[in-house]
Amino acid sequence: MNRLTKLLSKTLIIAASFSALSASADVLQDIKDRNLIRIAVPQDFPPFGSIGTDLKPQGIDVDMANYIATEMGVKVEIVPVTSANRIPYLQTKKVDLVISSLGKNPEREKAIDFSTPYAPFFLGVFGSKDVAVTKIDELADKTVGVTRGSVEDLELEKNAPKSVNVRRFEDNNTTLTAYLSGQVNLIATGNLVAAEIAKRQPKRAPENKFMLKDSPCYIGMAKGETALQAKVNELIKGALASGELNDISMKWLKAPLPKGFGA
Amino acid sequence: MIEFSNYDILRNLLFATQWTILLSLAAFIGGTTVALTLTALRLTRNPTIQRIVKVYVELFQGTPLLMQMFLCFFGLSMLGYEISAWGAAILSLTFFTSAFLVEIWRGCIDTLPKGQWEASRCLGLSFLQTLRFIILPQAIRVATAPTVGFSVQVIKGTALASVIGFVELTKVGTMLNNATFEPFKIFTLVALIYFVLCYPLSLYSKHLEKKFNVSR
Amino acid sequence: MLYFSDLLQYSDVFLSGLKTTVELTVLTTILGVALGTVCATVRQYGNRASQRVVSVYVELIRNTPFIVQLFFIFFGLPALGMMLSPWQASMIALTINLGAYSAEIIRAGLASISKGQMEAAKVLGLNFRQTLTRVIFIPAFEKIYPALTSQCIIVMLGSAVISQISVQDLTYAANLVQSRNFRAFESYFVTALMYLGLSILLRFAFNALGKRLFAYRTAN
Repeated sequence: MNRLTKLLSKTLIIAASFSALSASADVLQDIKDRNLIRIAVPQDFPPFGSIGTDLKPQGIDVDMANYIATEMGVKVEIVPVTSANRIPYLQTKKVDLVISSLGKNPEREKAIDFSTPYAPFFLGVFGSKDVAVTKIDELADKTVGVTRGSVEDLELEKNAPKSVNVRRFEDNNTTLTAYLSGQVNLIATGNLVAAEIAKRQPKRAPENKFMLKDSPCYIGMAKGETALQAKVNELIKGALASGELNDISMKWLKAPLPKGFGA
Repeated sequence: MIEFSNYDILRNLLFATQWTILLSLAAFIGGTTVALTLTALRLTRNPTIQRIVKVYVELFQGTPLLMQMFLCFFGLSMLGYEISAWGAAILSLTFFTSAFLVEIWRGCIDTLPKGQWEASRCLGLSFLQTLRFIILPQAIRVATAPTVGFSVQVIKGTALASVIGFVELTKVGTMLNNATFEPFKIFTLVALIYFVLCYPLSLYSKHLEKKFNVSR
Repeated sequence: MLYFSDLLQYSDVFLSGLKTTVELTVLTTILGVALGTVCATVRQYGNRASQRVVSVYVELIRNTPFIVQLFFIFFGLPALGMMLSPWQASMIALTINLGAYSAEIIRAGLASISKGQMEAAKVLGLNFRQTLTRVIFIPAFEKIYPALTSQCIIVMLGSAVISQISVQDLTYAANLVQSRNFRAFESYFVTALMYLGLSILLRFAFNALGKRLFAYRTAN
């Protein structure tokens, strides 16, 4: 009986400490306590994140994640996510940071907080040569593939003519596959992604039709984590000054950062 | 640019298959455990309990497995319960499996003549004794074939876990497809691996069914 | 905290998703059961070769996941020059899927009809087609009607997967709303309830249809 009560009280204490842990609001402290930072990265969005032959993610976002973890002096757990579910991952505290070529918009700012930008990115509409489109108004009655919930999705919804047929896919994988298999002849995506497709499949190389938005990438974190936000901003600033960000850009984009980036 | 050889593709798909198998096993074990409990509760013939079991079955048979996964994965965490993709997949597949198994097993128990319960009672056997010595041995024989048959549905159900980001066979298939842009080859291979996993079980279930029908 | 009221402004999205799911369900149920009936008949009464073909089809479909079949049709077939819209691809995938399962179910029904019925019909001068439609089908379907009903509901629920290839069905609506207002639980919960309602409704419809189809029982 005595042993049972001991066991029970032990369980209760453990349970209580667990709930205390999850109740605390300071994610930065949590990261230090568990000596581990969990970072969401894409695995279907080259050159930001895609898989190698060992199925491990690699790319700008993965390098950035490793940089942040090293600078914080903690271990890193890389969590592959899709663009549709990366914000729910943050909201539900499955990860501490989202470094997933995340663009900023008012809808998202209601749900999560952002760091300062860490990489340049332009969104546009791309497509095969035989489709004649030069500006957004000419999308009327055309079919465009896009990844659901992405900035380009929201831009199209806001600015494209009502008669455009937007086909939304769960993740970038599926959007790219839809374009490459010819299911759609136009896609809205980032300039770097389009360049990557062109490299892999010269036959279906998408050409740039027009730009949608200048949408640099930010690191996302749960709302109200001011300590974490300050720390991440400080690290980005450091990386910009030390040339680390430029190195990453040279490595994956084969080009230096644009002049005045992050200023 | 990384090149994927056929060997790379096959190696990665086979590697992912073990997660499909593990998830299937976990879901099947979880599902049978819950279903056993619910079946036992149902046998007590308490009307309230029977109604609860009925609602449970209705609920999980009447909504898409994909929806249950979304709810378990994102819904539960929104309510403050932290759950991984692996946990959410097991949880929702357990609900799904148990809801169907309870119904299958009820059908099996119902095929046994009611007179057996009454006869056992006359012989002075208690409820548990009747269950243990009379009902269960027969019910298990009837139930094995459809249960094995249903395990095929469990394996196929695990494919949906790819949508919530659990890395198993289907997920790796879509990942590889993105890296190689060879959808025809990849999805043929993925389908083939599922077939190799499922078909023997289907055959075994049919064999059991035949054997049982002959011996009856 | 739950905010179901946040969903109200998206009621149009949900309704149009519901409409697509219902339309596809009605269409594929009819086509799928028709395909299943043909396949079951071939498997029960056809020659060796055609039986083989049908059973390969049935086993292939029954032993692979629906989502893989769907991806194969939508992404794989274009490589062979067969381009299908998301809607067409889903319709074909769902019909083929239901066809395989219902073939297996209906064949069990056909097998349960005693040979004597067939012979009696022959003696009465009915040809093969007449025998099937007037003597065999109705009692055979009656035997397996509950199983067939359940299978149709399972396929309807399985159709949630077609949202993955951008068909704007009910699940697509849930995902879209979730990606706009980030209310995952509310959005999925309401959608799950709608599916539950649909499956109850479908069972109801099947029961009503069954009463008419099998009315001869109560007539005598």
